Amino acid sequence: MNKDLNIYVLIKQVPDTRSKAGVNADGTIDRAKAGKMLNPFDAFAMQAAIDAKAMGGPNSKITAVTMGPPPAIAILYQALEHGIDKACILSDRKLAASDTLATAYALSMTLEYVQAKDGPADLVFCGLQTTDGDTAQVGPEICERMDLTQITYCEGFEIRDNLVHARKVIEGGAMEVEADLPALITIANSYNRLEHKTFRGAKFVQEVKRNEAIQKQFVEIIDLADCKAEDSRCGLPGSPTIVSATWKIGTVGGSCKMHQGKSVEELVGEVVNINQETIKEFAKA
Amino acid sequence: MAKEVLVVAEQVDGIIANVTLELLGEGKKLAHKLDAPLSCFILGHNIDSQVDRVIAAGADKVYVADHPELAEYKTLPYRRVIIDEINTWSTPPHTMLMGSTTSGRDLAPRIAAYFETGLTADTIELDIGPYEHKAGVDKSKIGYFPECLYANRPSFGESLKARILGPWKDPQMATIRPGVFPLPEMVSKPRSEAAKIKNVEVKLEESDHRVRISKILREAGSKIDITEADVIIAGGFGLGSIEGFKLLQELANCFENSVVAASRKAVDLGWITYPYQVGQTGKTVRPKIYIACGISGALQHRVGMQKSDLIIAINKDPDAAIFSFAHHGIVGDLFHVIPEMISQIKASKKEPAFA
Ligand SMILES: Cc1cc2nc3c(=O)[nH]c(=O)nc-3n(C[C@H](O)[C@H](O)[C@H](O)COP(=O)(O)OP(=O)(O)OC[C@H]3O[C@@H](n4cnc5c(N)ncnc54)[C@H](O)[C@@H]3O)c2cc1C
Ligand SMILES: Nc1ncnc2c1ncn2[C@@H]1O[C@H](COP(=O)(O)O)[C@@H](O)[C@H]1O
Repeated sequence: MNKDLNIYVLIKQVPDTRSKAGVNADGTIDRAKAGKMLNPFDAFAMQAAIDAKAMGGPNSKITAVTMGPPPAIAILYQALEHGIDKACILSDRKLAASDTLATAYALSMTLEYVQAKDGPADLVFCGLQTTDGDTAQVGPEICERMDLTQITYCEGFEIRDNLVHARKVIEGGAMEVEADLPALITIANSYNRLEHKTFRGAKFVQEVKRNEAIQKQFVEIIDLADCKAEDSRCGLPGSPTIVSATWKIGTVGGSCKMHQGKSVEELVGEVVNINQETIKEFAKA
Repeated sequence: MAKEVLVVAEQVDGIIANVTLELLGEGKKLAHKLDAPLSCFILGHNIDSQVDRVIAAGADKVYVADHPELAEYKTLPYRRVIIDEINTWSTPPHTMLMGSTTSGRDLAPRIAAYFETGLTADTIELDIGPYEHKAGVDKSKIGYFPECLYANRPSFGESLKARILGPWKDPQMATIRPGVFPLPEMVSKPRSEAAKIKNVEVKLEESDHRVRISKILREAGSKIDITEADVIIAGGFGLGSIEGFKLLQELANCFENSVVAASRKAVDLGWITYPYQVGQTGKTVRPKIYIACGISGALQHRVGMQKSDLIIAINKDPDAAIFSFAHHGIVGDLFHVIPEMISQIKASKKEPAFA
């Protein structure tokens, strides 16, 4: 029998790239206009947290943690609808333009803050990567700061005798590992899809939204001062990297020979004829 | 020991991975610009034979950590050995490069966080150049830096490329996906004159054994490795469903050493599995022939295949981005174009040689 597990899951709100809203004609994204959604990778992390809770003792609980502007609270409500027990958001203007190192610092301070109230983590789940930052760095950087056991690219796991037995993706295959708690696990997108909202979760969110007192208890909003994070280690000052230049690369080509406006036989015939040497070299005899 | 360009090697079953050789090839150019030695850190067990390979690929210095616990990649032991060694240096390396593989992406952020330094993920271009930081929120960053690591990567805005740099602190770090840079020419040299070799002491602590490997399952055979194919038939969202891949497979069957691959959208929809994904977060390929079917040509896809020798794109939208960089563009419905292509390729084989 496993002990009660204290589980945290780190989730992020990202621009919604599935819709056309906020996508400029040149392909760049207008973050202000674009819709917002839960980072798709973090949905897998949320399912992993829910699965882990089911493996723990009866008083196991999950807290979702995010860092972002106030509207990101939406994904915390989404988490509660799926049966996550509590949530906390770190929101502070001074966090703008944080790179991964600054983000990992701020999130680890937030985790320290919630741990001081709710008890030390046994498990922290992260998505493999975000669709906007897309670095897969924040999880391991938090591990380094908090000295947690690290398992990345996890596809499935079990908790037995208070040890994690996990399967993870490696180059050209997979690896099974046994690891000690407390552990931070990043979840690959080959993990089970997030299940539907629960009826209880949805009702709970309705109640939380109505009642300010419970809201404070279940969806905590904190800033840098609350979690005792140093300003100099966040945002621009705390970020060792900057973006020094950007440029478009949509227009380099232009040498494409177009084949159009004819019958399919003719179109294919043109391409096959022009390239017949190459095609013959690799075609099956 | 100032200003080294350090490549951390990746090995599988005691053989240095190609990505390491590719990074040494590119690292050599950076080392030239910095007038610094190119060094390579190899961790593993019974890996002495690999020292010659990294020297042949251009390493001027080799750090070798040989220990049974290092035979397979494990986060904590690898992290410990590399950090301990660098901490004995008077200054850390100027630049540190790793493969953007499952293990490189596991290890690089640990080292970056330890040194509290910057790390650019999934870089597609590297260079050394100057940077002047004029004003900003943080006055302590102001200054002129003649030798920064430039790491360019596609940014979230789909058609933008961003240069990321962080000259304030060394090591300046980047991860690079396999296949982005070409393999360097291998020139064997006798060890004595070629390179300095340092055997690195391996001292692990109790806490480094928190993750224990119980089983390794590596897929045998290279069928799944799309980076090795001569001909790639790639499909995207335009295929409409998983069924579309059967048609692609039929076209692939017309060629030798060919394979079917996909855009991320097709992978995310579950039409095909991740090892077949081409692009920034998939694999970088450079086959002799790349036929893109129903793929729009987003930047993140393009960076994974633009170096293919011959790119033929099939798309029903004449304004699709893929037509800006393919060599031949066929505007049409892939469900009509591909069957026609299959029959023409088959027919062209049957023609007598003199026809
Ligand atoms: C951080 C990040 C990383 C990413 N990494 C990758 C990556 O590694 N690889 C990757 O591929 N993408 C990646 N993407 C996604 C990428 O931006 C695009 O969304 C994706 O490549 C689009 O896939 P697609 O071309 O298949 O689909 P779409 O863009 O939807 O294009 C489908 C195309 O099919 C055409 N079409 C439709 N029906 C037909 C028909 N019957 N006949 C012919 N043509 C037809 C349409 O005209 C259209 O051009 C990434 C995105 C982000 C944000
Ligand atoms: N702002 C954030 N708030 C909460 N979690 C985050 C944030 N940024 C990153 N993460 C976590 O770290 C993972 C990897 O993110 P990234 O390094 O940006 O690719 C994500 O899937 C999240 O689990």
